[in-house]
Amino acid sequence: MLILALGLALGAAFGGLLQLSGASSHTKIVNALRLKDLTIMKLILMAIGVGLIGVYALDLFGLANMKVKELYILGIVIAGGIFGVGFALTGYCPGTALAACAEGKPDAWVTVLGGLCGALAFAFMFPEVEESLLAVGRYGPVTIPDLVGIHGIWIAVPLGVVCIWLATRLPEQPA
Amino acid sequence: MKKNIPNRLEAPHEESNPVLSWWAGGIGIGLVLIVAVGLVQPIGVSAQYVVLDGVLLHQVLPDVASRSSYLAKTAQGWTLATYEFFFVLGIPLGALLAAMATTRFRTRVVPVEWKKRFGSNPGNRLVWSFVGGFLLLFGARFGGGCTSGHMISGMSQLAISSVVFSAALFISGIITARVLYRDGASRC
Repeated sequence: MLILALGLALGAAFGGLLQLSGASSHTKIVNALRLKDLTIMKLILMAIGVGLIGVYALDLFGLANMKVKELYILGIVIAGGIFGVGFALTGYCPGTALAACAEGKPDAWVTVLGGLCGALAFAFMFPEVEESLLAVGRYGPVTIPDLVGIHGIWIAVPLGVVCIWLATRLPEQPA
Repeated sequence: MKKNIPNRLEAPHEESNPVLSWWAGGIGIGLVLIVAVGLVQPIGVSAQYVVLDGVLLHQVLPDVASRSSYLAKTAQGWTLATYEFFFVLGIPLGALLAAMATTRFRTRVVPVEWKKRFGSNPGNRLVWSFVGGFLLLFGARFGGGCTSGHMISGMSQLAISSVVFSAALFISGIITARVLYRDGASRC
């Protein structure tokens, strides 16, 4: 059961970081989307920059347990569009809603409840969606290095540096 | 007995303001991802909503649950005792500990920015939170991941699907937020 304890510990670290850095705050998320307070954008860019370099450095030694998501262009664009509406309405994402639940935000409890219903609705619609929308522009789990044909580290390091640089350069409050 | 605190003093404390700077939070989340990828697999949240749905439904209506191949595949073995589910359970646990440790546990129904635009009716906020939550997870499962799985984990693996999903998410989110909260800032 060591693996469960590890899951709980890593999840707790993640949840704690989300809470402490304000990612679970409705105000912070909504104002990020309104481009009035870019703190959360800076945080995400920093996390991706560090993640990119770290993940591909592990991969260099064969130590990265990757899990790349499938590309189905039409479906992914529609899905991202639906997600974005929910993101702006609630001010939470599926992970930060759970963090906000724990810090005493009843609207996050209802968001999670709505989320459970939305996930269930999708589960039962899946057979129809799979044959139609998920079939358009389906390319499987492809990555940029696959496409270019070089080792990921050559893209991950420069791109990671750009992400971190951008994170430091973006103003917190644009004029 | 109720203490006599003026109402206006309560307002600024309704949201939990950050105590960790963006760079510290970003590096921390990046490190959690690296450790997770090194030891187990990339981080992800939204599939566990399906797992909980599946396990609950399997308890009450096992036939209905088994009929959905998507539920049966996602909630493999109809169990919650998995690394993935425990990771997601850890999120509220960590957030609670963090909020308590920094005495930033604050409760309110209607968030500040919502109140500015739509008023302080809690029913209104809760109904739309439900609708938003529905869309959030419907979209996440449709796209195969959420902010954690697609944006943080997926972008870090240079997955093309995650780049497309994140771009669509932000474009849609920014437009929706502009339309929804447009009068929030200028209102007095």
